[in-house]
Amino acid sequence: MACVCAERDNPYLPIPVEIAKIITEVDTKDIKTFRFAFVNPEDEARFAYTPGQFGELSIFGKGESPIGIASSPTQKGYVEFTVQKAGVVTTALHEMEEGQRMGIRGPLGNAWPIAFLEGKNVVIVGGGFAFTTLRSLLNYMIVPEHRGRFGKITVVYGARNPGLLLYKDELEAWGKRSDVDLHVTVDKGDETWKGREGFVPAVCKDVAPSAENAVCVLCGPPIMIRFTLPVFFELGFSKENIITSLEMRMKCGIGKCGRCNVGNKYVCKDGPVFSFAELDKLTPEY
Amino acid sequence: MEKRLLTKDAFAAALERLAAAKRVLGPVQDGDNVVFGPLEPGRQPALGYRNTRNAPKNALFPHTETLMRFTRTPKGVECAGQGDDPAETVVVVRPCDAQSFLLLDRVFDQPGCRDPYYVGHRERTTVVALACPQPPYAACFCTSVGGDPVPAAPAGVDVLATDLGGGGGEILAEFLTPKGEALLSFFEGQAADGQADARKAQAGEKARAGIRSQVPAREVLPILQKNFDHPFWAGLHGKCLACGTCTYICPTCHCFDISDEAKKDDGVRLRSWDSCMFPLFTKEASGHNPRSSQKERWRQRVMHKFRYIPENFDLVGCVGCGRCVLNCPVNLDIRKIVQDVAKI
Repeated sequence: MACVCAERDNPYLPIPVEIAKIITEVDTKDIKTFRFAFVNPEDEARFAYTPGQFGELSIFGKGESPIGIASSPTQKGYVEFTVQKAGVVTTALHEMEEGQRMGIRGPLGNAWPIAFLEGKNVVIVGGGFAFTTLRSLLNYMIVPEHRGRFGKITVVYGARNPGLLLYKDELEAWGKRSDVDLHVTVDKGDETWKGREGFVPAVCKDVAPSAENAVCVLCGPPIMIRFTLPVFFELGFSKENIITSLEMRMKCGIGKCGRCNVGNKYVCKDGPVFSFAELDKLTPEY
Repeated sequence: MEKRLLTKDAFAAALERLAAAKRVLGPVQDGDNVVFGPLEPGRQPALGYRNTRNAPKNALFPHTETLMRFTRTPKGVECAGQGDDPAETVVVVRPCDAQSFLLLDRVFDQPGCRDPYYVGHRERTTVVALACPQPPYAACFCTSVGGDPVPAAPAGVDVLATDLGGGGGEILAEFLTPKGEALLSFFEGQAADGQADARKAQAGEKARAGIRSQVPAREVLPILQKNFDHPFWAGLHGKCLACGTCTYICPTCHCFDISDEAKKDDGVRLRSWDSCMFPLFTKEASGHNPRSSQKERWRQRVMHKFRYIPENFDLVGCVGCGRCVLNCPVNLDIRKIVQDVAKI
């Protein structure tokens, strides 16, 4: 084997990227969005992705961390990941500066089922930090060339407090659009908060999106999922029409290292996106 | 297909000649053990062994392998090439271990998702299988998982050698593939006739009858599909030490870890064997662990081999070599576990 750096089909080889921009998303400063530009412009085409896919952020000397892609493929010239500081790699990433180089492997995994969503009303429900790949999906659907492919778009997004809401500028822009029905809620507001207060399941019940020709895309902490699911079942959504994205510890990202094996599936390769009907068939080990 | 008859001594000499010309990995005596390792020039292969203590997966999927090297540059840390090219290798293994390569192939060499490191080793490896006409270990159960101690013409084997017994100990060497035929010049012997085939068939019948362990490996699939939450799993793991021996010596276990090691400005990204038996294997950075106790981890090991791999590949994820049975420090016995599952 020649030097694998010259080979373009080695799935273990990260694509070199440069940190173009770092945005601190939340008051606690432990969630940042990293915008990466490709060192070799031709790599952008190699990294052709669909919303819902993820990448392994690769810092040589520290390791890799699987993170969902937060930008939309309609945003050209860069790719973004919103990362919470949690383990070794994400802590190292949070200490990096604009202009520094690292690597990304990907895009990995399946994606939000765009073809399945086409022609349907889409209800996006996100809680806390799990909004990242939902943001990718939303930004993909609302660009002029795609907007007509989808019906009504409803978004319910909640965080514990106003300081923990991600993508604040975009929330404002989405809120002004007539073709997106956006509901932002916080568990508890502060003196500056003029929006909704309340938990995501209660807001979903209140908004009550119709299940008619609709799909719900749902991401959030387990406790939120547990209480939101019954709301959507009650509204008439079937398990086939409620879709989520799983998180697991992953290393290779290509279904070989065995770490994210759940039932006869590998979350990195067969997922991370599953419908709740598919999750019913899996063993409950995620 | 070429078939030749050689004496046992001539066969051993052929392997030694081969070891002088190429990298040969096979059974070698190491103190009290016979291990799978390099057959160094001038060293006798341990042909009298039944099976090596460690599995030969190391030849295709090394215990530790360099995926890439990296170095610090003024612009940041960048990739600086990868590990060494895999060498041309001949492996000398038992039929169950040759079968394990087919399972590894299903994982590492999937259409559209090939592991370049594994495939590199695989393409440069010639498999010489030594059939097992001698009654093997009491722990062997290859016939329960689609294996055969004296196989006819097994897939994935390039040269098949069967000890036919007899005065000088005659070996029937069958060169099954072009890769195997490329080694013909090393194995000088007379052409084998139909009589040798008949003797091999006879040896096979005797060997198959000599395998005492019967395990309902395929039959447990529907039972495992229905009993994920059965109380059975809670009683399984009590004495397990989570040492990982069973997975490290298993020829079909393929879970691995990827880690970085750096010294000053240079470093390597390594792949090394890992084990679903270890507590940290699935532990996430958040602290959440989907398989939080040894109960879940043992269930995963059984399910992976006897349910998930059969569901995905229509093969049992076990080749019946019995190594985990022989080497578990607390005598957990996969044969008994599968037999007990069948009784659920």
